[in-house]
Amino acid sequence: MRDPRCKKIFAALSAYLDSELPEPSCRELQRHLQGCKPCITYLESLKTTIQACRRHPISKAPRPSPRVRAALLKALGR
Amino acid sequence: MNAQVEQALEILKSGDARAFDRALESLQAAVYSFGMRFCGNREDAEDTAQETLLRLARQLKNFPDARALAVWLYKVAKTQCLMSRRQSKFAPAQMLSLEALMPPQHEPAGAPGKSWEVTPEEIALRREFRDHLEQAILSLPKPYRLVLILRDMEELETREVAEVMGISEETTKMRLHRARVYVRNALAKYMPGATPRFSFRTAHGRRPRGAPSGSITS
Repeated sequence: MRDPRCKKIFAALSAYLDSELPEPSCRELQRHLQGCKPCITYLESLKTTIQACRRHPISKAPRPSPRVRAALLKALGR
Repeated sequence: MNAQVEQALEILKSGDARAFDRALESLQAAVYSFGMRFCGNREDAEDTAQETLLRLARQLKNFPDARALAVWLYKVAKTQCLMSRRQSKFAPAQMLSLEALMPPQHEPAGAPGKSWEVTPEEIALRREFRDHLEQAILSLPKPYRLVLILRDMEELETREVAEVMGISEETTKMRLHRARVYVRNALAKYMPGATPRFSFRTAHGRRPRGAPSGSITS
């Protein structure tokens, strides 16, 4: 992956996955991916990583403290 | 914006008494979870939730809409986390160099038995994988960790992350990509056959303390 073209693609992979890459760069990246298996493999692994983050479960939280509840009720005029 | 947070703030701002406790619990869960992801311990996450929601009470009426209030809420939670007493002992202060995070020249593509092709559902169910993911995130330098958590876990838009962090969208994108690559490379160690070797050097040429080891054999 030390080919200069791969380096350029490597820097743009997140923007590509987030659909935030400008159209010409997106087309260039897609053309490169058609012939570069290391970049395709890396892209897939990056996608899996992002999915793992997005599906990471939220922690079970303790109940809000009575102090917080009272402060918010007061702010709402109750 | 995180839909759960925005919806809960809308309910609070609307003054709907019947939905108050549900909205409060929803906000508590969201801010506590953010604190757990950033700080990695219950005590700091509880302090973050408590202090952030107390400050919310003082600001509830001062924001025109729930989205603006949600951005403010994340800014406060971020500041609380940065002030936390029990800082992660793993996170290095160095900046991450994209060059150093790049795979080496001769990384074999599509190694046999590579297990990156797991389904997202499988990922979510693997406790061990989740533990490694959490450790990888906690070992990120703070500016990168915050961007990754806000964008990929709290699901804020790029411009919202930039607003919370007080940085440009371009810097946000740059940090996000490096953070993702760092975490991906850390997880590669637990994906047999996926990756032969990665370098975890910083811009100064040193491996961050607590970061995954620099040599991974497939």
